[in-house]
Amino acid sequence: MQDTIRFVFDDRIMEIGFSDSSGFKPTTTLLNYLRSLLSHKGVKEGCAEGDCGACTVVLAEVDEHGKLSYQTVDSCLVFLPMIHGKQLITVENLAFYKEKHRILHPVQEMLMRANGSQCGYCTPGVVMSIFGLFKNHQNPTRETIEDALTGNLCRCTGYQPILEAAQKVCSGNAKDHFSQYEPGVIELLNEITSKFETIKITKGKQLYTKPFTLPEALKLRKDHRLATVINGSTDVALRQTKKKELLTNILDLSGVGELSYCKEEKDAFLIGAGMPLEKVRLFAQDRLPALNNILKVFGSLQIRNMATLGGNVGSASPIGDTLPLLMAYKAKIKVNSLSEERYIMIEDFITGYRKTALKEDELITEISIPKLDENTTICSYKVSTRKDMDISTVSAAFRLEIQHRKVISSVLAFGGMATVPIRAAETEKFLKGKEWSRKTVEEAMIILEKEFAPISDARAEAEFRTTVSKNLLLKFLLETTEPGTTSLP
Amino acid sequence: MLHHQPHDSAEKHVTGESVFIDDMPVNRQLLFGKVVYSKHAHAILHRVSISDAMAISGVHCIVTARDIPGENQMGPVIHDELCLAEKEVTFIGQAIALIAAETEEAALEAEKLISIEYKPLPAILTIESAMAANASLAPARKIERGDAESALRLAPHVLKGKLTTGAQEHWYLETQTALAIPGEGREMMIHASSQNPAETQAIVAEVLGIPKNEVEVEVRRMGGAFGGKETQANHVAAWAALLANATRCPVKIHLFRDDDQVMTGKRHRFLSKYEIGFDNKGLILAYKVELNSDAGSSTDLSRAILERAMLHAENAYFLPNVSVTGQAWKTNLPSNTAFRGFGGPQGMAVIENAIDRVARFLKLDAAEIRHLNFYRPGVQNITPYGEKVENNHLFAIYDKLVSTSGYHNRRQEINRFNNDHEFLKKGLALTPVKFGISFTTAFLNQAGALVNIYTDGTVLVNHGGTEMGQGLNTKILQIASAELGISPERVRVNATNTSKVPNASPTAASTGSDLNGMAVKDAIDRIKKRLTDIAMNELFARFTGIVFLKENIVFRENFVYDKAHPACKITFPELCALARLNQVSLSATGFYKTPGVHFDRETGQGKPFYYFAFGMAVSEVMIDTLTGAHRLLRTDIIHDVGDSINQGIDKGQVEGGFIQGVGWCTTEQVKWDKTGNLLNHSPDTYKIPTINDIPKDFRVDFLEGVPNPGTIRRSKAVGEPPFMLGLSVWLAIKDAISAIDDHKTEPDFSLPASGEVILMAAEKLNHHPV
Repeated sequence: MQDTIRFVFDDRIMEIGFSDSSGFKPTTTLLNYLRSLLSHKGVKEGCAEGDCGACTVVLAEVDEHGKLSYQTVDSCLVFLPMIHGKQLITVENLAFYKEKHRILHPVQEMLMRANGSQCGYCTPGVVMSIFGLFKNHQNPTRETIEDALTGNLCRCTGYQPILEAAQKVCSGNAKDHFSQYEPGVIELLNEITSKFETIKITKGKQLYTKPFTLPEALKLRKDHRLATVINGSTDVALRQTKKKELLTNILDLSGVGELSYCKEEKDAFLIGAGMPLEKVRLFAQDRLPALNNILKVFGSLQIRNMATLGGNVGSASPIGDTLPLLMAYKAKIKVNSLSEERYIMIEDFITGYRKTALKEDELITEISIPKLDENTTICSYKVSTRKDMDISTVSAAFRLEIQHRKVISSVLAFGGMATVPIRAAETEKFLKGKEWSRKTVEEAMIILEKEFAPISDARAEAEFRTTVSKNLLLKFLLETTEPGTTSLP
Repeated sequence: MLHHQPHDSAEKHVTGESVFIDDMPVNRQLLFGKVVYSKHAHAILHRVSISDAMAISGVHCIVTARDIPGENQMGPVIHDELCLAEKEVTFIGQAIALIAAETEEAALEAEKLISIEYKPLPAILTIESAMAANASLAPARKIERGDAESALRLAPHVLKGKLTTGAQEHWYLETQTALAIPGEGREMMIHASSQNPAETQAIVAEVLGIPKNEVEVEVRRMGGAFGGKETQANHVAAWAALLANATRCPVKIHLFRDDDQVMTGKRHRFLSKYEIGFDNKGLILAYKVELNSDAGSSTDLSRAILERAMLHAENAYFLPNVSVTGQAWKTNLPSNTAFRGFGGPQGMAVIENAIDRVARFLKLDAAEIRHLNFYRPGVQNITPYGEKVENNHLFAIYDKLVSTSGYHNRRQEINRFNNDHEFLKKGLALTPVKFGISFTTAFLNQAGALVNIYTDGTVLVNHGGTEMGQGLNTKILQIASAELGISPERVRVNATNTSKVPNASPTAASTGSDLNGMAVKDAIDRIKKRLTDIAMNELFARFTGIVFLKENIVFRENFVYDKAHPACKITFPELCALARLNQVSLSATGFYKTPGVHFDRETGQGKPFYYFAFGMAVSEVMIDTLTGAHRLLRTDIIHDVGDSINQGIDKGQVEGGFIQGVGWCTTEQVKWDKTGNLLNHSPDTYKIPTINDIPKDFRVDFLEGVPNPGTIRRSKAVGEPPFMLGLSVWLAIKDAISAIDDHKTEPDFSLPASGEVILMAAEKLNHHPV
């Protein structure tokens, strides 16, 4: 067992202990840690919920090719043990000194010249997001740039100069002083990650464990049945940052490399529960278009770099963006305990409002998505107040199997319409055997309208939800029969 | 002058070095300040018990109304706003008690142990119910010309309607923050994130019961403000000061995002009723409008905001017969406050919507009807309040924009697209803005400056304006460097401080550079006059035999010389050093007041504005009538900024203001539940635009060659006007909805055009037979 965490910061290995004299808790956020240091106050708190990106920093880790991969994260949602074994890069680390002269990083230089800052409060976060983009993409498309920056709210500039700065700075050679020092950093990181001993931190009323192997994780799960399991913590962290709850017992799976994979098999795609959603999205791009479609508008890049598919499934939120889609895919959730391994259909897995069929000693380990036959189509939709970085007001995923224009079977799964993601069973029944046509769908819409009793809330009135849910069915029809005529650019 | 000078803090911003209040290093005695607020919209406060909370380790003090040493008051104009609630609470979020503790944890624990007994009372939560209860803030006011009633009776066509425009949360990235540091005796130093340090000083002095000369307020920079820190930054400063005074320790209050959203006021919602009379061509003959605003629980700036709404009810149009009535209503919500545009957007939205209706009714192009009704130079150029519209650039901008945006061709293309698509519809709209520049409270149009020059030739400029990101300090730096003829590197603009420049007006109403720039110039002129005398003596001494003329002396490129003898020159630092040796002061104060502005509130007549700023936008959108989603495809803007002092900064104001306006018009929804709880109290449900919500094709241009007479370096104010160009997106969305039935029917519409508004309006036009 280790009771300290280690990471690379300011060019050296930094170790944080959690003894009584240390001011830190295991759930101290990376943001609050940084802001406690006089030399790293550039990072800002704008919302403490991962919506504004003012706290964006970059974490680098050694990837499967032995190179450093750079990822932007919202430091307000990151608990300190989650950065163990990574390089932490903040806005203060970007410029470097040459004979007492400070040389700005190209990203900083470009943003400054483009008038990309006004009040300056969001700027350190914006700089870090563009830095992440700079390290990962050369000549990115506008869409890629937007995607890298949707998680950075700016209330002053209207974003145009930020966009222009990002375009310009990423069009050249992506070399910078980080490229130069990479080998040294990799060496330091390997030194830290060569140790597989579980991190176990106890402080006050808190216990925080971070295992690095699946057997160890399952053992901890068995021994600490009341532990809150996190894998990315972009949902759970809000209980602390927003509701000011003290999380007393945390089992953090983010170090379990065995859970982080995407595989294509003959009949199915297998996604490890610990796979960050951005990596899932990249895997889905050419293989699972409906999944790619929903992940494109899932949170921000900062969130998707942390959040995992296992986490989204495990949260069982009524508006969890991937859940209706996994229902349409007829995905199976693989769960393991020390003694058993079993598969549960996604619909059976979610048993109620934020409740699952997971037993107290089990962990979600894999999501298995069966491949579709040629007669089957799946489409996914998300309707939200704002296109990006928003929680869906209504989401839907539809599966349709047709032969000779007749509906063989369908799955019409919705989020935001009830306390759990739910299927429109009556409408599905109605569609069975009918011709897949405008007339049928218009009749089905009348049935669908009566199937749910959604609520009115801060996002929308019930009437809006009902109307959207039935219109989405019509949209699905048009997408399957006249593709390209109903999608906004 | 360098027109492309980057923001004076740009390098600090991009390196993370810029210091906001929450970043300031403070000694170990710093306490964490926490505000405990009302959970009831309207209730009698029976008992506030703090004894259990005081027992928490780490808690230094808890302050309630009875502990206020001075006056329990923080209303900025009208003294109707308590600093801490006494017997009654009138909105959710109203401060009741203040905690100072060593840590946030201790403060939170203490908060849980403060017991507050309420006796709930009925609450007024909408403008309609305030009207029904006759809960007006002040008597209705009017601005009238001609005879709107008769003209409406005689007009060939009349359209009547009602429009609601929504509230808007400022969502400055830096929430309200203040750091209070007690000095010796009763002195109090405040680091505030305030647009109005002088008023922050006044309110702190008032609650502490000490004179103003014992309170010093400093503002280095704000992390955004947009009007939200014009009066309501005083609140956190007053609270921090009360705690610092009670503990004699430094106390910082940095509001948590959700608390900031719950506690502070927003842009006023309006409920407006209008009647518009017009002829067959769309010429407006009469306009009658009644503007009702939701003031919230106290006055704050509601009267001035309503006044500006009334003064912009006609926007860019000449209305021969017009009647504008305005009334503010009291509700049990946080007091609504200043927000970029200051009522202007709410007033303009009504007439822009009315003209849009006229166009649909007459089956004519809305842009052409706008053009037909613009103020015209020479004739039809008097506003309803009697001010002449001079230097009118509406036609120049319109002609240029219609051409560069390809308005007419695109209108045709859009019609074709709409014919070809059943569920996707495109819309296009052109809207103008004419915005009056000056505080309508005339005496506020003044500014002061203090310029200090040191013997090494470097300059420290102090002025009464504040930096909130708008680039005021950069423009001031440019002005100082240009007026003194020295490089910008030699000039530094100081943090705004009430002990350097006293009694300043707020940095608001877009007047920051106009007023403070002139005051700085005045101070510099005074010093230059003194330096010229020194220079004359020195030139004669150094270059014998040459005749130098005082009126020929110029300050250029870091030298001072007679322009007839440019080879004979003295460096600026040399001259400054000489001044000291000659016992001449290198420091001067400057002052400026805007000439000739006045307004009579009783008659609704006068010249409230020094000048007008003009701009216009064309926006194109696409909507999905099945989901209510929309995309902003393209926006073209041409804006009038006079001779721009800094094009980069001015462009930033235009783009940023426009996008903020787009947010108000589209995704930013503020809703309350039936008991007065704010539903959209975090970025989770309150959606400001992201980078993906800006126009995919965004073209911003300035009107060239239009110097603004009588202002600093012939420039023009730019902070607020572009906000209102967001209305072009709002009306483009309406145009797209109305395309569902080929523009035959007026859609149900309100502001913001949220997905919900779009979908419900589209459904009503019955696009598919279900």
